[in-house]
Amino acid sequence: SIDRCASSSPAGECWWSVHGVGLVGPGPRSRSLPLSPCRHWAGGSRSPHAVSPQVLGWRVAAAITWSVLLLPICTAAFIILSGLDPFHPVRWISNSFNDLYTSYVIFCIFLMSMVIIIISIFNIEFYAVVPSIPCSRLALIGKIIHPQQVIHSFVHAIMGMLVTWCATVMTKGRFQFLAVSCTPSEGLEDAVPQMCLNEYHLFFLLSGAFLGYSYSLFYLINNMNYLPFPIIQQYKYLRFRRSLPLLIKHSCVESLHFVRNFCVTYYFFGYIPKVWICTTMDLHTDGKLHPLDTLSGLLDLSLFYHTWLSGVFLLMTWYIAWLLFKIYATESHHFPIQPTFAQETDQCLPKILNSNPPLLIKFLALQDLMLLSQYSPVRRQEVFSLSQPGGHPHNWTAISRECLSLLSDLTQRLIAQQEAAAAANGRAKPPVGELKVPPQTPGIASMSPLVKPSLMPVKTSPGSDVGSPFSSPALNYKMGVVDIKSPWHGPVQSPHVMRRGPKLWTSVSDQQMNGSHHESFPVLSAARTGTEAVQPRFIYTWLQNKQEQCTQNILVSSQHPEASIQAVFSDAQMHIWALEGLSHLVAASFTEDQFGVVQTTLPAILNTLLTLQEVVDRHFKLPHVSSKPPRISGSLVDTSYKTLRFALRASLKTALYRITTVFGEHLNAVQVSTEHKKRLQQFLEYKE
Amino acid sequence: QLSVLLSLQLTSEDMIAAFSQAVDWAGCTVRAFAWHPHTNKFAVALLDDSIRVYNSNSATVPSLKHRLQRNVAAMAWKPLCASILAVACQSCVLVWHLDPTSLSTRPSSGCAQVLSCPGHSPVTSLAWAPSGERLLSASPVDTAMLVWDVSTETCVQLQWFGGGGVTYLAWSPDGSKVLAATPSAVFRVWEAQMWTCERWPTIRGRCQTGCWSPDGSRLLFTVLGESVIYSLSFSEYRGEMQGQVGGSKTASIVADLSETTFETLYGEERIGGEVHSMVWDPTGERLAVIIRGESPNSQPAVAVFRTRNSPVFELLPCGFVRGERGARPQLISFHPCFPQGALLTVCWSSGKISHIPFFFVGALEPHASPRRSPVPVLGSVREQPLFSEL
Repeated sequence: SIDRCASSSPAGECWWSVHGVGLVGPGPRSRSLPLSPCRHWAGGSRSPHAVSPQVLGWRVAAAITWSVLLLPICTAAFIILSGLDPFHPVRWISNSFNDLYTSYVIFCIFLMSMVIIIISIFNIEFYAVVPSIPCSRLALIGKIIHPQQVIHSFVHAIMGMLVTWCATVMTKGRFQFLAVSCTPSEGLEDAVPQMCLNEYHLFFLLSGAFLGYSYSLFYLINNMNYLPFPIIQQYKYLRFRRSLPLLIKHSCVESLHFVRNFCVTYYFFGYIPKVWICTTMDLHTDGKLHPLDTLSGLLDLSLFYHTWLSGVFLLMTWYIAWLLFKIYATESHHFPIQPTFAQETDQCLPKILNSNPPLLIKFLALQDLMLLSQYSPVRRQEVFSLSQPGGHPHNWTAISRECLSLLSDLTQRLIAQQEAAAAANGRAKPPVGELKVPPQTPGIASMSPLVKPSLMPVKTSPGSDVGSPFSSPALNYKMGVVDIKSPWHGPVQSPHVMRRGPKLWTSVSDQQMNGSHHESFPVLSAARTGTEAVQPRFIYTWLQNKQEQCTQNILVSSQHPEASIQAVFSDAQMHIWALEGLSHLVAASFTEDQFGVVQTTLPAILNTLLTLQEVVDRHFKLPHVSSKPPRISGSLVDTSYKTLRFALRASLKTALYRITTVFGEHLNAVQVSTEHKKRLQQFLEYKE
Repeated sequence: QLSVLLSLQLTSEDMIAAFSQAVDWAGCTVRAFAWHPHTNKFAVALLDDSIRVYNSNSATVPSLKHRLQRNVAAMAWKPLCASILAVACQSCVLVWHLDPTSLSTRPSSGCAQVLSCPGHSPVTSLAWAPSGERLLSASPVDTAMLVWDVSTETCVQLQWFGGGGVTYLAWSPDGSKVLAATPSAVFRVWEAQMWTCERWPTIRGRCQTGCWSPDGSRLLFTVLGESVIYSLSFSEYRGEMQGQVGGSKTASIVADLSETTFETLYGEERIGGEVHSMVWDPTGERLAVIIRGESPNSQPAVAVFRTRNSPVFELLPCGFVRGERGARPQLISFHPCFPQGALLTVCWSSGKISHIPFFFVGALEPHASPRRSPVPVLGSVREQPLFSEL
């Protein structure tokens, strides 16, 4: 899609869209689920999504407003703590309060509000509901030096410098100015005072830049652009209050680590900026002061405290902006089921589910579906209702079709992954030559060569993107219903499939990387200065070549199996909600569905769920697949995407039990294949 | 509050004994009991910290042991699931994943997930959401109760300051509300969609036990130091009232259980006093309570009431359940899906477990037991002959 974007849309259109959904993520499917208008350009279906600017705009505005409003409070706390004087508490407190109203503090707050707004804009542009998980170390390095990440880091470093500048201004004292007057050390009585470099100030500014850069780096490495949805609904204030202690603790600890690292860096490389500044600004070094890039210079407790405190201040304000954005963006949104006015048709749940809105909107729609199916009988009634003239169950058809297509898409993806694993196990190392990427339309989730023709009779053209969950739902729907007589575990594997198997993990992504890189680069380089742009590009291309050279040997061996499994399930939150929504609706239909609209889809639903259950079961029996979730420490950084597959497995089983428990013996009358009937019987007897 | 301070000074074993639903948790052989919500299977936690799982369809009795499984205070089977059992232990919550088709009598400790959170021990109460998706756990020393996503082992703390920890949890059968009792004279009712709560101060003491009507519209609870049953009604839950619990203004007394003399087969007996634990059957027609005697020489007794929830709430005495001579009731529980009426299970101090069936035809469509298909009940009043009223 990136490719198509660049070719068919005005250059500016795709600038940011590439991000947020995995640039290099060499997952099994290239993640071509963009968050941008590009999709509509590409697909040709330009459905206007009035709902997305409306919903997101307000949320973003509210999040930014709150983070700016919280800034003065943080500033006040910072000023009070920076003037810490435990021996003269009264003077300390009164001085701090006097400082709060001074004009330069107000100016600093104004400046830092700008910083917060810019940071928030970066949060908004970089967010992703589907995390991009680098499957190997090389991919991670590729991500770090990707131009977009470089811009991110660069801007954050500048912002960090600005914040620490404000911090020095507010701290006052010896840190305030870069140039101070000093007397030459020769001790001549009539010597003219000259301007000297205040190394403390420089130290502060550089620490800010370092902190900003580290923040950006950790943002990337920890996937902090990922928006995890909470496991229970809560009011925003309560969510914020719950996270606040964690946020403070995390900022303090992280600032300590960053400052420690900075001190080490400054010890080794501090003289470079110092000399540079001195020569360019024609400043002298003050001989009376200790140079800071020595051990004794760095062992200054007050310097360390103030650096740490300004680091905490910086991280806290930024994390608050980030947290508020996360809270606002993942808040549930109430979509109407049926339009009250004709022009609202586009904002209805069934419409949104069946179109290709930005992924976040899709997630919100599915979350709303889950909530309404569970809690709202009135809205469920609307789902089961018939259209006024004609008497068609449009709402139910649209919702169930989309859910089923999502689920059968996941089934296909898992089958492909299992085949790839089997292929990798069966044949150790296919020759490198065979792995050359065939000339194919880039940017398409290229699962097509991996899945057997018997499974996908419909899809033949190389351009059809069956892999994407947003491909034509009707098609996927059909495939879900097709009685799959499990040809996957049979020994009949075409050599074609076998040979291409490993490509799923490597070459496709390489190609994806190439694609995104080459296509997006001209646009990006326009926005950057020449020298900066050229260097990463050089390294980047070099890396690409390197990667292609040793596709099998390095990548596959160094690939982390856990990471690639996480990548397969990275968007499983959608499937979990689809499962919960569907199963609750079906269970409720037993008593609430007056027209029997659900009955017609029940066989298809059961088929899809049972097939998925089989495939998921088989997935957890693969080698390298742990059956227990890793421990998640309760830290600020959410890593819930690592355990989504376990949640999916649990909710799939619960969903099936929910249906079988309600319908009981009546399920025997539903037409399903004999295999599935056996399985259903086990569910009815609670033996699964 | 004094009781809060006291509870903090107690050792964790004393604390579990004080807040457990078992009458004599420290001394009795059976410490916890749990029926599976859909099948004829139950789990019993014993004094030696092992758990046995009995199944009517199989002769094998798996015995669950784990090094962290100490001082079991409560157990709960996951609804909409074949065989997942959550166990409240002294230091953590263990979630056993048992294979329902396995014939092994000693499932390995690898089948157990360990859910622990610093500061959240001992765990004295557990409650699964009826939809099977979330697990609640509570500890008397932790002011927060935890909502677990068991599959990913992540939890969310529901903090509410004041009142100390949480001693007892009861999730309403319709899934809309949760009762959370604290060690002080206050309890809270949480609404389970947006997780807001209503705070209910009591006059005398802490809330000892409570149970929900099948449709979640009525809560019966008892208070330590008073021998009465209170009732609290809630406005009907329709899902539209996000973030409102909807409780009525005051709780009303529905039964006075102070000591009275009864003529029994064995002569005159004085029965009555505080209620220790209380269970309501899934059809909402029978209520069983364990009454602790007031005077030292009086025996704890199981009393059963006939109840009706609509159109008006009714509570009529039905009878007492007596065990073998000298056996005292420890725990009571109703079978969650007994098709012919209600099945009361009583664990006795002798270590015996007896099942007492109550055969009747429900007046209302059963709400909470979706196992049964809704057979339309012909408009007769409930006065069907009762087969085994004691």
